[in-house]
Parts: sequence; structure tokens; C-alpha cells
Amino acid sequence: MPEYTGNAGGDVAAGTCRPCSRPGLVLGRAAGLRRQASAFAARVVLFSAAAASSAAVLFILGFILRDALPFFKLRGFSEFLTSVKWFPSRSPPEFGALAIIAGSAIVTACAAAFAVPLGISAAVCMSEVLPFRTRQAVKPVIEILAAIPSVAYGFFALVVLAPFLQDNGGTALSAAVWVAGGPVAAIACVAAGGAASSLLPSRAGRAARWPLAGLFAAAAFIALRELSSAAEDLEISSGTNALNVSLILGIMALPTVVSVSEDALQAVGRDLREGSYALGATRAETVVKVVIPAASSGLVAAVMLGIMRAAGETMVVWMASGNSAKVPSPIYNLLEPIRTLTATIAGDMGEADHVTGSARYHALFAMAAGLLLVSFACNVASEWVMRRARRKNSGG
Amino acid sequence: MTRSTRKLLDKSFSSLGVFSILFMAGSLVVILAPIVVRGAGAVAFRATAEHRRMMLEQFGAGDRAEVEAETAAVLAERKPLFDMLAGFRIEMKSMPFKRKREFEGKLAELEGRIRELFGPLPGEPRPVLPRMRYGQTRWDRAKVKLEAVLFTETYDCSDPTKMGVLVRKPRAEEFEGTFVAALFPHLEAHAGEMLRPRFTIYWRFFTDVSRDAHFFGGIWPELLGTFYLTIGAIAFAVPVGVLSAVYFAEYAGQSIVNAVLRMLINTLAGVPSVVFGLFGLAFFINAVHLSESKSVLAGSLTLALLVLPTIIRASEEAIRAVPQTYKEAALSLGAGKGRAVATVILPAALPGILTGVIISMGRAAGETAPIIFTAAVSVGDPLGILETLSQPTPALSWNVYNLSTEHQKLDELRHVQYGMVLALVAVVLILNMAAIILRARISRKLKG
Repeated sequence: MPEYTGNAGGDVAAGTCRPCSRPGLVLGRAAGLRRQASAFAARVVLFSAAAASSAAVLFILGFILRDALPFFKLRGFSEFLTSVKWFPSRSPPEFGALAIIAGSAIVTACAAAFAVPLGISAAVCMSEVLPFRTRQAVKPVIEILAAIPSVAYGFFALVVLAPFLQDNGGTALSAAVWVAGGPVAAIACVAAGGAASSLLPSRAGRAARWPLAGLFAAAAFIALRELSSAAEDLEISSGTNALNVSLILGIMALPTVVSVSEDALQAVGRDLREGSYALGATRAETVVKVVIPAASSGLVAAVMLGIMRAAGETMVVWMASGNSAKVPSPIYNLLEPIRTLTATIAGDMGEADHVTGSARYHALFAMAAGLLLVSFACNVASEWVMRRARRKNSGG
Repeated sequence: MTRSTRKLLDKSFSSLGVFSILFMAGSLVVILAPIVVRGAGAVAFRATAEHRRMMLEQFGAGDRAEVEAETAAVLAERKPLFDMLAGFRIEMKSMPFKRKREFEGKLAELEGRIRELFGPLPGEPRPVLPRMRYGQTRWDRAKVKLEAVLFTETYDCSDPTKMGVLVRKPRAEEFEGTFVAALFPHLEAHAGEMLRPRFTIYWRFFTDVSRDAHFFGGIWPELLGTFYLTIGAIAFAVPVGVLSAVYFAEYAGQSIVNAVLRMLINTLAGVPSVVFGLFGLAFFINAVHLSESKSVLAGSLTLALLVLPTIIRASEEAIRAVPQTYKEAALSLGAGKGRAVATVILPAALPGILTGVIISMGRAAGETAPIIFTAAVSVGDPLGILETLSQPTPALSWNVYNLSTEHQKLDELRHVQYGMVLALVAVVLILNMAAIILRARISRKLKG
């Protein structure tokens, strides 16, 4: 995750110090020259190291594109992007990657839908609610979550979560409906009762508040019960499916989302918060209406980095997504196995690299090129958003 | 909105955040608990007499006289069983042909199950594969196999509209009224004496090579491979990374060129790991021909690219965190900028740089996708230092994948898989803990 690497402080200092490093009266002319030469050499060495590190990414892009182009020359774009028939080893082979692209998009979107709300609310809680000491205790949890190797997550998804979903998936889903929906519904009912009663003339309104809330609660209860019994009836024929993978990818993306958004929230000035509190806003109102809008660009960057983490992940999807290259029907059916770009690259390369030069080999590079370009676009966009925010913040 | 509603919303807002944090902590526990508990089972378990015999024959471990005496004792315990089988074979000879045919298949299946439990039956030739030479070495697996001897499992698919229903019947019913029917109660009652489970801590799991595709032995080649790959990646990435960090922290101005360089490095951090692997294959192996095929060298270089952004970022931050006064003092004593950086700033930033390096080591050790095409093989011997230049290696991360998805008998090797995951997670987490502790010490020092 790109962090703030602004160099204002360093440069001002370097600027003021530069004269001191020039040869002064103390040094002789030859010594001065030598010193200048070595300083120049050091600069060149350092710059070339930095340039080499930066060029690596261009080099990677170049090499991937170089091996991807023959595929498009051979097969064109339209089949790759529009057909769902992925039969690379058949003769004649078919290279329709649409189902695989859809698979990547589905798990990434679901992982983001799961990780973003949880991640941002955790970040808000860490930066606005928790006392300093507790926050210090929570940070290692996030770091460890980020550090666990992806293959360990994949192993968990395959060996623990998949059989669990297969055997008790319906029950677990209906329990999840109650756990997640219950409290939310309860709060929403009370709030809605309050809001509805405030529409009535004041006296009747105050009296009607709790009955109204009760009414809403009854409706919510019935809806939740329907939902949970529908979930209970679901038959999960295979535990290695999009739901499993999305859940694990969501957990893997959480640390990124939390740490980047926490940084963004921390960067919001104290004066804004104090202004809001002074106007009588509660903490929730301050966060939702003042802090989050002020930190929005950082939060957008956090979301994008989290999405990239989920989209680029290989081992979990390879091990636990079921690897079946077809679009689930209907498309929101998360209980069907899917296949992603990363898993296809990892899985097919073993067979394709014996026949270097074949369309199959280059097809995988075409997929990699697609992934790479998307991740570039996300990265550049998040950089741009962050940079703009920084300029805005420093500009006051 | 009334004030009480606002208060309620405020409270629930905070509890939502607390819930999210608890969810993260909970998922950490849920994910790590089975790995730790069952991973420990790879090292500490109830080992049977077969385990001790296997260790003696395959690894030369244990006291020969003792193990041989024990083997003789358990064979004596099993003898009645084999006698019953032999007696049944004689009994079968006098049976009518049809009945005999029927029993032949059942007997073959029973013998197969018993072979899985105790190894080859007496008088049979010694199998080539080590996995077939021994009975169950672990008591937990032996209990599963014992069940398979005692019960038959078939799926009842008579109702085509439903999924098949599992039917479990005592195998004794198949042999009712014959000589061998007494085998089942006898086996059930004396299985413990026939296998002699004893609680064992098998430390050599970490230092033994594996035999017969991880059926026996340990994970030493994988540990060593991960170690080579990690050290290699760090050795390539640290010099370049630290030099780049020095440039960005001390020399780079705010020109467009530098902004672009920074952006490129951030972009490198976002490249999906499998793309690194593909690049490693296309460049280091197919284009440069660094080695004949996969090698530790190619894998290390690929991993080095992967950790480079992390190292640059951490080092740059560490260098920036060195108080300005240090540098000013060095410059005022007449040191040039280069000398100030080399003798004052870098040493002061060293703990911070080290933190970044340790975190990168954890990252490199845990990554799988970049080494699939560049360095990893599923079975191999531990490599010598020089062999790393040209040979591929097994590695923990890759072998976790390989053993749990591609191995022929992956259900039988769950304990090895868990042990390997635990080893990998332990390596990575110990490195990260070290980094966390180091960072805490630095921040305490900076506070004064």
C-alpha cells in the first residue's frame, strides 16, 4: 500500500545544508575536486539503484505484453473477451475467457462488499473510539492477519471452511442472517419509530414512538425469519465455491483496508472534529458528516488497494474456488464454483510451459497483461486521489 | 430526530466498529486455531509400534534391540488374527462353489483392509513402496482404519430422486457363521495391544527428509528450500532497496522524474504475485536462461522483485525518521553528504531498515505464486549451497498447496499438511513478531 512519502521536510533541510557540503576554505583545490567527484559518483549510483527499482515494473509490463501480443495476433480480441468457452487443450482449442473474467469480477466484488464496510468501520473505531492503549493492542492483530501467507488461508478455505459449508452451510447462513441482521434491524426499527413519530403532532408523537417501533420490529422479524429459513433450505453441493473464496478474500483484504483508511482518518485535522462537536454533534454524526467526507480520498484509496489485494490473490482462489470456467447461473449465485484469472494462470502454466510458443502459453500472458493493466490503473488512480487530497490538505 | 434516537445511533455506531474489530480478531483465532492444534499433531501424537519399526528401518532411529523385541511382541499379538484368516481359507475349500465365489471377494476386501491397518500379511513379499511396508504409524489414523475393518460402508442409491444415503454395517455380518467371524470382536478388543500406541514427540519431523512422497518422515527439504529462497530474495533486494531508499530520502528533489519513479515503485507493490511468477518464467528462465529450468536462483530473483517495494518504503521511512540534528551535527563537523549518510544516518536508521527487512522475509517465505513456475518442485532432496544456482527445490508454501490438492492420497496425509502449514505460519509469524517487537523498541527509544 503506498503510504505518504511526501518529501517536503527532507528537501527543505537538504536545501539549507547543501552549502555546507561544498568545498569551503578549509579544503585544497584537488581535495575539493575529489570530494565533488565522489559526491557526484554517489549520486549517480543511488539514482541508478532507484531508477532500476522503478524500471522493474515497466520491465515486467514489457515482458508480459511481449508474450501476450502473439496471442492477440493469432486469435484476435473478440473471442477472448466475449466467448465463455475456455477449452485450451481441445483441438481446435477455444480461448473464451469471459467466464473467467466474470469469476474474477464476482469474487473481487463480493470480497470488497464484505471487507469495505467492516474495514472502514473498524478503522473508524480504531481512530475515533478506542483509547490509545487498546489501539496499540489491536494493531498486531491486523498485522498478523496481513502476514499469514496466502497459501495458509487457502488451506483453511479448502480443508476447514469448504467441508463446513458443505455440511452445515444452510444453518451457518441462517445464523449469519440473524447475527448480522438482528442488531441492525433492531436499531433501524427504533430509529425509524423515532423518525416516524416525529412526523406526528408532538404529544401524540411522543406516545406513538414505541408502538411504532414495535410495529416495525415485528415486520423486520418476519422478514428476517423468511430470509433465514430460505437460507436454511439452501443446498450447498460443493463447499469450494464463490462464497467460500469471497469470504476468505474479504478477510485477507481487511488489513489493507483498515490500515490505509485509519491513516486517512488520522490525517483529518483536529480542528474539524472539534468544530463539529462544538456544534453539538454526536460522535457518530461527526464521523459520518465531517471526518469521513474530509478523509474520503484516503478511504477511496484504501478501497482500491483492498480490491487490488483481492483481485490479485492466487492461492486461495486456486485451492478453494472449484476452478470451473463457467458463469454461475444466475450470476449472483455465490454457491457455484467459479474460476478466476489468477487461478487459471497458476493452474494452466504447468501444462502450457512445455509447449512454449503455443497459443495456450500466450493466452495466459494475455490474462496476466489484463490483470496487470487493471492493477496499474487502480494504483495510478489511488495515487492521484491521494496526491490531490494531500495538496488540498496542505493548501488548507 | 429526538435526542435519545441520536444517542442510540451514536452508541450503535461505536458498537459496529467494535464488532468489526472483534470479527477480525475472531477470524484470526478461527483460522489459526485448527492450524496450530492439528499442526501440533504432526509432531506430538500417539505413535504405534509400526512407527517405531518404520523409524528404525527408514531413518535408523531408535534402539534396534528394543524395537525388534516390540515388533516380535506385536506380531505375536496379531497371530491369532492371521490364524483365523488362514483357518477360514481352509474352511472355504470345503464350501459349495457358489458360496465360495461369494466369499472370495469379501475375503479379499477384508484382507486389503487389514493390510492397511497392519501392513503386509505374514508370508507376503516385501512391497516396493515404503508406504505399503508398514501398518498405520499413527494411532488416530489406525482408529480410522480399524473402523474400516470392522464396518462396511455402502451408499444406498435405490431412490434416484435423492442423494445416496450412507449405510454402515458391521462387517462381521458378512461372515456370520464362519470361522473368521470371531476375528472382529477379537480385533476390536485387542487392537491396542496389536499396535501399542504410545505418546511420542516426533521432533525429527522438522529435520528428517520425507520418504515416499511425504508418507513418512519430515519436512526438512521444504524448510531448507524456504530458507534458501528467503535468504536469496533478501540478498538481492536489500542492497538495491536500501540504495534506492537513500536516494529517495536524501537526494531526490520534487522533480517530475522523481515523482514518476515513486509512482512506479508504488505500482510495483500492486502487481499481483502470480504475474511476478509469470515474469520470472518468461524472463529469468525462458529469455535469460539463468538455469536449465526452475532454480532457486530464479525463484529468489523473482521474490526479490516482489519484496523490493516493501524494503524501499520501510527503509525510506526509517531514514526520514532519523532526527535532522544528527545529520546537521555530522555536516557541521565537516563530513560531506555521502559520508554523513553512510556513517551517521544509515547506522541510526538501521533498526528501522531491519524491521522492514524482517517483514519482507516473512513475505518472501510465505509467497507461493511467484515460485510455482520459477523454483518449486513437489518432491526433492535437500540442496547444497551451490546446487541452488541450478536446481529447483521443494518449499513449504508450494508443498502445502501440492500436498493438499494434488497428492494421490491427500486424505491420509492431513497431519503432514497441517504440520507443514503450521511450520510455515510459525516461520512467518515469528519473523513478524520480531519486527513488531523491534519497532516497539525503536519507538520507545525515539520517545526517549
